[in-house]
Amino acid sequence: MSLVNYATREITCKIVYYGPGRSGKTTNLHYIYGQVPEDRKGKMVSLATQTDRTLFFDFLPLDLGTISGFTTKFQLYTVPGQVYYQTTRKLVLQGADGVVFVADSQARQLEENIESFQDLHANLAEQGIDARAVPLVIQYNKQDLPRDLILTPAELNDALNFRGVPEFGADALHGPGVFETLRSISELVLKRLSQPVK
Amino acid sequence: MSNSPFTSVLAALTRQRGVRASLVVDENDGIVVDSNLQIGQDGDRVAALAASLYRKARLSARAAQLGTATFMQLEAERGRICAAGRNDLVLVVVADPAANIGMIRVEMIKAAGGLP
Amino acid sequence: MSITAVEPWVEIPLRKFVEEARTVLGLLLHPSGQVVAQFGFARAVDVMSACALAAAIHASAGELGKQLEGKPFRGLHHPGRDRQLYLAEAATPRGTFIFLTVFDQESSLGLVRLYFDEFCKSLAAAAPPAPRRVEPVIEERFEQELNRNLAALFGRG
Repeated sequence: MSLVNYATREITCKIVYYGPGRSGKTTNLHYIYGQVPEDRKGKMVSLATQTDRTLFFDFLPLDLGTISGFTTKFQLYTVPGQVYYQTTRKLVLQGADGVVFVADSQARQLEENIESFQDLHANLAEQGIDARAVPLVIQYNKQDLPRDLILTPAELNDALNFRGVPEFGADALHGPGVFETLRSISELVLKRLSQPVK
Repeated sequence: MSNSPFTSVLAALTRQRGVRASLVVDENDGIVVDSNLQIGQDGDRVAALAASLYRKARLSARAAQLGTATFMQLEAERGRICAAGRNDLVLVVVADPAANIGMIRVEMIKAAGGLP
Repeated sequence: MSITAVEPWVEIPLRKFVEEARTVLGLLLHPSGQVVAQFGFARAVDVMSACALAAAIHASAGELGKQLEGKPFRGLHHPGRDRQLYLAEAATPRGTFIFLTVFDQESSLGLVRLYFDEFCKSLAAAAPPAPRRVEPVIEERFEQELNRNLAALFGRG
């Protein structure tokens, strides 16, 4: 649950970018980091291997400015996508207020996308969390690749988006779709705070 | 009480009349290396605070150009804490007000000289 | 020493710890990585990075303990050349927090552990019951502000 401080009027939310290995999770954060002014971001932490594969997580704190009188900060995390980092993925996912699932649009990566999506739901269930209650956005990254190598967002939707959550085509390396994805997950996460608590 | 290189030294100190507890403490960490305590005594607490005090006393002596500190004594209403150290280890003794502090001091300085 | 606390009730126990243990930096955070209180840091965004790393260390150590001996490890000490780090859990009626502190030669591990135990007790005693909030935190039509702020963030304003 997002951390709300009524005394200092601050909201802090944790967003986790999830997905299979090399789908573009870290690339999303790098792009965001490159766009945001110095005074609105913290240092980007990247715990990576020597070949720049995420080992534990990437982390980027963002200051979203004032919303409804609350200073709103988002903490963006990525998880390592490779299969054998299962344990560390679970740890990073703990306490997430929202998830961006970054799928690799390449046709040959469809199995990995599905496995990773199932892995996400399994990890949430293991934490006692109903996945349907977690704000989720899907990003179909690498839509800039040649058409014969990738699946369309519609085809990927059929395979992955059985919940009908917001989805965006993207080219995280150059930017298209990154902002839209972040905006969408921000809306979903903050929407929970605009509702009365049941 | 575990069997360590300091067991016999601590036992000898604790046998002195009026000595309630004896410990060997790491001066840098304030962690107990070995101890001879009565049941219910909080050795960790004494170790951390005494080591910190001894360290400050040692540095004060050095700053005042008095040479190496050899012995430190803290007198309180209901007893004393004594400390003598060598390298990174400190011998700490907790004693009653009526304890023979002169004898304890001699024994502690001798024992501290034998610390590794 | 200036202390910034998200939850006001932690300030007095934390201030007592800082004064007695004489540490240089400190963070109290939720296990998810969100800061509850800090002292010694210059920038809020640096606090967030440190919290993320501290939460990761704690989570890793806990998991490692479970895998090695069936129980999570609770405390961690890293000796450094000039400074040392101590990280441990603090249980309160408001949940478990993680505490990270950095100290130099003005303190010691023994002192930090000693005063940390006292800090845990006073923190648990100071914790008020969790408030039950029923009203929404932000306005229903927040999207306009969010979109404006995001656009400014990305230079699209």
